[in-house]
Amino acid sequence: MADTLPHVAGAPVGVGTPVTRKEDDRLLRGDGRFTDDVRPADALHMAVGRCPFPHARIAHLDTSAAERLDGVRHILVGADVVAATSVISPLRPTPGTPDLPYYALAPEVCVYEGHAFVSVAATSRHIAEDAIDLVEVEWEPLPHVTDTLAALAPEATVLHPAQLDSNLLSTNPMGPGADAELAAADVIVEDVFRVNRVTGLPMEPRAVVAEWRPGARRLTVHCATQVPHLVRMQLAETLHLDEGEVRVIASDVGGGYGLKLGAYPEDVLACLHSMRLVRPVKWAEDRQEHFRATTHARESVHRFRIAATQTGRILAITDTYAADLGGQYSSFGPAQLSSYTYPGPYRVTAGHVERQVVVTNKTPIGAYRGYGQPEVNFARERLMDRLAREVGIDPLEVRLMNLLTPEELPFTNLSGAIYDSGDYPRCLRMAADAVDYSGHRVRGTVRPDGRRTGIGFSSFIERTGYPSAKFLADRRSRYGTHESLTLRANRTGGIDLFTGVSTMGQGSETTIAQVCAQVHGVDFARITVHAGDTGASPLNTGGFSSRTMIAAAGAVRIAASELRAKTLRIAAYRLAVDPEDLTIDGQVVRLRDDPACAISLAEVHEAAIFGRGIPDEEDPGLEATAHYEPPAAAFAFGSAAAVVTVDPETGDFDVDRFVFVHDSGTVVNPLIVEGQVRGALAQGFGAALGEELRYDRDTGQLVSGSMLDYFAPTAADLPEWELLHTEVASPVTPFGVRGVGETGTIPPAAAIANAICDALSDMNLDITSLPITPESVWRAIAAASAGEGMS
Amino acid sequence: MKPAPFEYVKAVSVADAVALLTEHRGDARLLAGGQSLVPMLNMRLLRPSVVIDVNGLADALGEIALQGDAVAVGALVRYAEIERSSLVAERVPLLRHVVAYIGDRQVRNRGTVGGAVAHADPTGEIALVTLALGAIMRAEGPDGVRDIHAEAFFLGPYTTALAPDEMLTHVIFPPAAPAFRFFERGRKHNDFAVLSLAVVGRPEPDGTWRDIRIALGGVHDRPVLAAAAARALEGRRWDDALVRDAALLALEDCDPPDDFRASAEYRRHLVPVHVRRMLSALAGGHE
Repeated sequence: MADTLPHVAGAPVGVGTPVTRKEDDRLLRGDGRFTDDVRPADALHMAVGRCPFPHARIAHLDTSAAERLDGVRHILVGADVVAATSVISPLRPTPGTPDLPYYALAPEVCVYEGHAFVSVAATSRHIAEDAIDLVEVEWEPLPHVTDTLAALAPEATVLHPAQLDSNLLSTNPMGPGADAELAAADVIVEDVFRVNRVTGLPMEPRAVVAEWRPGARRLTVHCATQVPHLVRMQLAETLHLDEGEVRVIASDVGGGYGLKLGAYPEDVLACLHSMRLVRPVKWAEDRQEHFRATTHARESVHRFRIAATQTGRILAITDTYAADLGGQYSSFGPAQLSSYTYPGPYRVTAGHVERQVVVTNKTPIGAYRGYGQPEVNFARERLMDRLAREVGIDPLEVRLMNLLTPEELPFTNLSGAIYDSGDYPRCLRMAADAVDYSGHRVRGTVRPDGRRTGIGFSSFIERTGYPSAKFLADRRSRYGTHESLTLRANRTGGIDLFTGVSTMGQGSETTIAQVCAQVHGVDFARITVHAGDTGASPLNTGGFSSRTMIAAAGAVRIAASELRAKTLRIAAYRLAVDPEDLTIDGQVVRLRDDPACAISLAEVHEAAIFGRGIPDEEDPGLEATAHYEPPAAAFAFGSAAAVVTVDPETGDFDVDRFVFVHDSGTVVNPLIVEGQVRGALAQGFGAALGEELRYDRDTGQLVSGSMLDYFAPTAADLPEWELLHTEVASPVTPFGVRGVGETGTIPPAAAIANAICDALSDMNLDITSLPITPESVWRAIAAASAGEGMS
Repeated sequence: MKPAPFEYVKAVSVADAVALLTEHRGDARLLAGGQSLVPMLNMRLLRPSVVIDVNGLADALGEIALQGDAVAVGALVRYAEIERSSLVAERVPLLRHVVAYIGDRQVRNRGTVGGAVAHADPTGEIALVTLALGAIMRAEGPDGVRDIHAEAFFLGPYTTALAPDEMLTHVIFPPAAPAFRFFERGRKHNDFAVLSLAVVGRPEPDGTWRDIRIALGGVHDRPVLAAAAARALEGRRWDDALVRDAALLALEDCDPPDDFRASAEYRRHLVPVHVRRMLSALAGGHE
């Protein structure tokens, strides 16, 4: 993709054109409109008081001193919220679980450090924070548990005794089983893999501005969210309003990554303050709060196992894992895709998976780019290298032997997921060739300076989109899989495009408009996208699960075809020709064979809009709304290769090269695909090598909850990635697109771990937990040396 | 993340700043570059009643100047000015070298030498260099000016020998041994050091080394000199065995912390490894 030619201004834009984003001008000029940029003149500012303990009962709460502070207008405590609202309903509950209802403020017991228990609306954020300081609380600390596995121990304190008799929220087993294969296997490799708790760190933390107009009965909520229509549904339910009384506006959004999926407690609180005070109320999350109040992700412990023959052929894969939920539910809860993608891109016909969702005294877990897939990829791809070692076959060969071939697709995996199409082995070979793997095998790992160089691979699949609305309904998910769009012609000859997909950096304004331009024929530049406003857009699903293009491309194709057909009919009537002979060419409708016989789009649009000079049988107006549910999920796929040099004395290591080969189907815009891949890789590297939200086991405190201690990579910390791709059109999506937003998060950890283990292969060390740091590598070396000493 | 209420005062002279410190003894903070103070105010980790802004005192405190054969760096000199100073490059090259390890461009444009030293972060690069080069801290208080040697200045984490009513005005670097090596390892680019290390010495014509100083950061509650290791090397010709043994002695002068960035155990492992490597690099004239 690096050699993609830039788009020439004025040339036609359609599917595949590397055009720069429509969003770029406003964002680069500082003219984006984020929620914090919404500044009503009479706005009040909200601050939230948060529990300093991991688990504590509010024995006594006195807000009188805070209320007396000059500038304070309104204070809410848990009892007020319980009286005025319903619980916040999750969008994606874990199947088969009791409800763990939660309110916007803890009424009595806080279950994690940072759990909100009081909120203040005041004339400035400074005063609101001063007021929080003045709230007098007598805390009764309760026993806490922060370690995921320790929470399952019989002696662990039960965090939700009214609903649960242990901290195990649910157990979800799936799969055909593997008893016979495990018994027949020559080789079984297995281990326990610990995946770190991380977060997505959007540049824009969360924010909300709520304004209630009692006479109009309208609640307008500007909110940094990926799903404005779903937030509207949740707010209406929680606040006991009709959905029609709530309008949610989300544009621009400064990064979502899954963290901004659904209503959060602070959204409800800002609305409650505003409804009481009849003033706009703003809350903008600061980074300190963000580390505690916005969902965390990934933390899980996988007991993963691969059974194989002596020749390296996989017989079965199993995974039993504990997924950390945190102290209570969030809108999306713990990742569910581990259970669907654990067999990866391999030919696996026996196995099973079991997810155990565990409650702990930590910030609630939610969705994050990858949503369970990086976790199982790390475990499985590490074990593929262990399998290779056990059977004495090169790791590349073991992968190639087990990868599904193009002829075997479509393939239904152990969990019923259908891999649609693609050439998995080709991607792996491309990665191996790019890093000269055969040369590496000849050269060996030892370098003149005493350091070692290794190469590691990681092959992956990614589910993009959802199998069906029924699939979600069966799992009690409270949304569908469709996208809906409205196209409305305007009198200057352009088209207004209305979508509920908010703009969060993913470039969907551009890509959806590209499809519209291709199908309709109008100039790309004359399509104006209006995104993320529930008052303007048809009811859609939202931007997550790598699904926007898969669904929205279908909707815009239908709507643009419909609009084009009516446009041609009206133009044909006015030109006195047959619509079949007409085409739309930029801003004119003309005869295919005679460009001189033409009428401008502006004229056709105006005729339609005024209802003058159109055929008698045509209704006036020129707009189309379409809804599209994709027939299936599409599976993106690929392989990565890492070249890593390790200092065996200190554990220090450098990722010298990282080659990422992937397939996201038909590429709508190569520039945007590349941006998505690079962004996801940065987050994949961060989670693999530095980021960790660690809680102190004794105090239950988050010890890395600020930018001082959360080691998200900067550009200086990341290697130059080499991006290669194939482009196999998916047969199950419009235009053959696959999702692309999340793939980069999936393979880095395993590829780097495998490269380190390859570099030090004579030491037979192992890496089973994340993040991988110089110290953890040093410890792995020490452990391997100690093991050697014992044997 | 908004600071608790405080009173803001802009000092018009060093004497004015000292008078304000004296008036609000213990409850005032000096604002220079603000790179540590402002975040701590915003997080409400510090709640001084008065913030005394000394940014207007550049005439008195913003110069880098020769004083005899020493280089005096005013407390308000920004890191970026150290980077650009030919005097520093020529006379105190180690100081210039470490600036690249401090923060990012924005931090280096704002942060000051005096702020770094007075803040006394155990991992701070400037503090480490003052120890490695035997710098003198000049402070002004109600009773006048006094000089404090770097070795007596850092008392603990974020704790110095400055009295609450004293203000650091200059850091004075006397002539030091000419050869040096610097090493730093952190969890990410320009992060606080897990380990930082400066070795300084003078190679003599007879092949021996003199004036050895080995300063360590991130491995104690303050920057420390590895005095025992330096003594073992002083006045001798170095071979691999001597360097290895001396490097191990560096552990005698530090007690590494156990924190989120690295365990004490790992830091103890790293200290002799990197001291050995830097000494070898110094002796071999290579990195």
